[in-house]
Amino acid sequence: MSRAAAPLQWLTMGLLAVGLLGLSPTLSLSLLAFGLAVLTALKLREARSLEERRVVALLQLVGAGLLAALRPELGPSLLQGLAILMALAGLLALELGAGPDWKALLRRSLQVLVAALPIALVLFLLLPRLMPFSNFGAGQGMGAMTGLSDSMEPGSIARLAVSREAAARVAFPLGGAPPALEQRYWRVLVHERFDGRRWRSAAPRLPRPPAGQPTPPPPPPATPGEGIQLWLIEPSGLSAVPWSGAGRPLSADLTLQRSGELQNRAPGSQRRVYALTQAADQGDWRTEPPRPIDLVLPRGENPRLEALATTWGRLGSNRERLDAAGSWFRGQPFRYTLEPGALPRQAPLDHFLFETRLGFCGHYASAFTTLMRAAGVPARVVSGYRGGQWVQPVGGSGYVDLRQADAHAWSEVWLEGEGWQRVDPTAWADGDSLARTLAAGADRAGIPPWDWLQQQWWGLDIAWARWWLGYDSEQQQALVRRLLGDHRHLLGLVVLLAVALSLAASLGGLGWLGRRRSGDPLRLELERTLRAFARQGMAPQAGETLPVFAQRLAQRWPGLAGPLDDFVGHYQRQRFASTPSRMGRRQARRLGRVLRRSLRTGNRSKEAVQREHP
Amino acid sequence: MDFGRPQQGDRVRLRMRNLYILPTRFGWLWLAGTVLMQVIGVQMQSNGTLLLSFLMLSLFLLTLHLTHFNLQGVELGCGAPAPGFAGDPVAYPIQMHCPGRSEGVRLRLGGEAAGPPLSLPAGEHEFGVAWRPPGRGWHKPGLLRVQTTAPLGLFCCWSRWYPGAAQLIYPARRAGPVRLLAGANPPLAGEPAVASPQEGSEDWRDLAPHRPQDSPSRLAWKLLAQGRGEYAKRFLDQPETAPLLAPEPGLPLEVALEHLSERIWSYHGHGLSYGLVLPSHSVEAGRGVVHRDQCLAALACCR
Repeated sequence: MSRAAAPLQWLTMGLLAVGLLGLSPTLSLSLLAFGLAVLTALKLREARSLEERRVVALLQLVGAGLLAALRPELGPSLLQGLAILMALAGLLALELGAGPDWKALLRRSLQVLVAALPIALVLFLLLPRLMPFSNFGAGQGMGAMTGLSDSMEPGSIARLAVSREAAARVAFPLGGAPPALEQRYWRVLVHERFDGRRWRSAAPRLPRPPAGQPTPPPPPPATPGEGIQLWLIEPSGLSAVPWSGAGRPLSADLTLQRSGELQNRAPGSQRRVYALTQAADQGDWRTEPPRPIDLVLPRGENPRLEALATTWGRLGSNRERLDAAGSWFRGQPFRYTLEPGALPRQAPLDHFLFETRLGFCGHYASAFTTLMRAAGVPARVVSGYRGGQWVQPVGGSGYVDLRQADAHAWSEVWLEGEGWQRVDPTAWADGDSLARTLAAGADRAGIPPWDWLQQQWWGLDIAWARWWLGYDSEQQQALVRRLLGDHRHLLGLVVLLAVALSLAASLGGLGWLGRRRSGDPLRLELERTLRAFARQGMAPQAGETLPVFAQRLAQRWPGLAGPLDDFVGHYQRQRFASTPSRMGRRQARRLGRVLRRSLRTGNRSKEAVQREHP
Repeated sequence: MDFGRPQQGDRVRLRMRNLYILPTRFGWLWLAGTVLMQVIGVQMQSNGTLLLSFLMLSLFLLTLHLTHFNLQGVELGCGAPAPGFAGDPVAYPIQMHCPGRSEGVRLRLGGEAAGPPLSLPAGEHEFGVAWRPPGRGWHKPGLLRVQTTAPLGLFCCWSRWYPGAAQLIYPARRAGPVRLLAGANPPLAGEPAVASPQEGSEDWRDLAPHRPQDSPSRLAWKLLAQGRGEYAKRFLDQPETAPLLAPEPGLPLEVALEHLSERIWSYHGHGLSYGLVLPSHSVEAGRGVVHRDQCLAALACCR
């Protein structure tokens, strides 16, 4: 057992502990991972024999695998990879006796890991995927914070803090571009329930499917003409996820509600990655007729608001009522602010509409939706994100970066013959942030270096999500189709052959590494050169010094005298130098190469001469 | 892992036919871990976990070969075993020729514990493998097990071989009475029957002028201090009469031989001359390593 074994194994424990830090303790699998890590550390502490230490290494690998399931993102994956490398190095240190040092152990474990990787990749890429056995653990609650919440009560908020925390990123891998900035509305929650003060989501929480129930069939893959939106969302406490409102989900975990919410019921990864088609057609949630709840309004709470709406209610169609409300809003001195002050408990919306006229998106959406309902137009509040910055990382595909500060609320009203239409009353107010952004130009110039670095990292993250996390059973089937075409029945044979070939290649590679001569580079260079001469039948005789042998060579190949002199002189100087330098070794390699090349070309020209003058 | 047909002969080359390989208990546990990772990966639809599971499987396949390569083509032979004493661990020389690098090789002779794992570069190697002989005489060390679990401990590859060379084992050294045949004092070879004084280190008899090559310990410091000049002391030895050692009568032969073995060893340590008389064999008086080994060999082979 090498002395490096214990430090290596403790180092692995440290890496796993760092990996555990980001886990939410509310997930049962996280608890399992925590428990496993603690048990492994205890086992490592008391382990004395070789067998016990081996078991520790295996437990560490299992721990890393569990972490990989819980934290599949790029950063944690790198950490897990490092932990796996260290665990293997620890295992190697147990077997290789007292000799090897850290560096040798790490090099050897890297060799073994790289040798094992081709076989693993063949199996990973080609072996058909199994579907999950049951939905155990699905739809677990996610702890975290977000700019969005299930309920919305703008009147109680005196001051809204702006958080620049990341919320989501959306990329368009198959080309395509995001919608224009003023059209970028990413819907998350639909609030239909209103009690006069607070808006709540009406969509029932997704029931957890009972265990054993067959999972819904995966949706058909995107057709070639359709674009794809790839979403990466940060943890939020919500089961609804953002989307653009058009297209359809490409994952069986996502279901589209009739209100237009996209509900997620995947088992609990903390961050979610999902793909949607980017169809131009309007989803059928827009034509879903309104329900009675879309007109519910506690009467008598805001008398002035109701009086105003009643005048619009006399107009013939919903469209006319909407236009009347729009022109009324634009005619009033509404101003957008993040510090509107709290609204009174009595007639809060009257106070907002007719007195303060100060508010943020929640106020506008809430007041406008209430007005519409009072005027007899089915309406609801939708919350989600608006805008988002288009980021083009160096050497990658671009993405839209959504921050919590981009959280927004707007209204949807039902218009006969048109379906649900988005209306953003905040845009009518003076000082709306989006309007300011549009006026200032789409891209925010002068990004601080830290933000720039973060954007580049997120670009990598998106690529990782696209190529690595996005490789699912459909991608796998597509790959097999592409590789084998109609001969899919040969898949088993192909996998076996590929595994055998990779195994042979890995063993060959490791054997080559093992045979590779190590030692004094100067000496190796000399031996290489001497072998080249030996092939021509010239070998040093017993007791012959290098300069004398060089003279003999120069007599046979007079053209080589120059390179020979250079090489031998340099070799002698380096050999007997007090401190041989790295530069000197490099120079010896270069001179040796020149000499051998001259020997080859000299021979070729001599043969040519002989052919011409036999 | 310890089964399989043992090889015989002075040299043996390890190859497919005489190497055995099976997963260790840890190897089976590793496979169970692989299955667990596969289940978690499928259940969570996690690519990282699935890849780790395949990686573990791939390491399993790879180490099957790497472990086998550690011993594949290795040639085992025995060197000339040096004699040893019964009762103590004795080193038995094993020669190994490795065609490539061999990692984690452990050698075990007879019922002894396995040695530490050795990482051997390509080339010739020779080790003394310890074993505990059962008694005196010519003995073969029994079964040599050569095994390795490197690099990951997932597989154990082993082979078994009976090395052909026998090792001479002297009787154990045990202090005890020995019969001294003092009456029969045969002269030392090449010397007159009556021992004459010879130059030595026992008693000083004379003084001679000090020469530079004389040891300072022989310098007569007293005379020097008295200012009488530098003189070196001359010493004389009375040669002892070399005793003849014989088994103590009344003791079992084996015990008597063990006493003799100890006595010979200590006489040799003191640089004394001695001879040996055994029922079947006798050795004339003498001293030196060759003489000692001759006497001990006579003890080892005494019937």
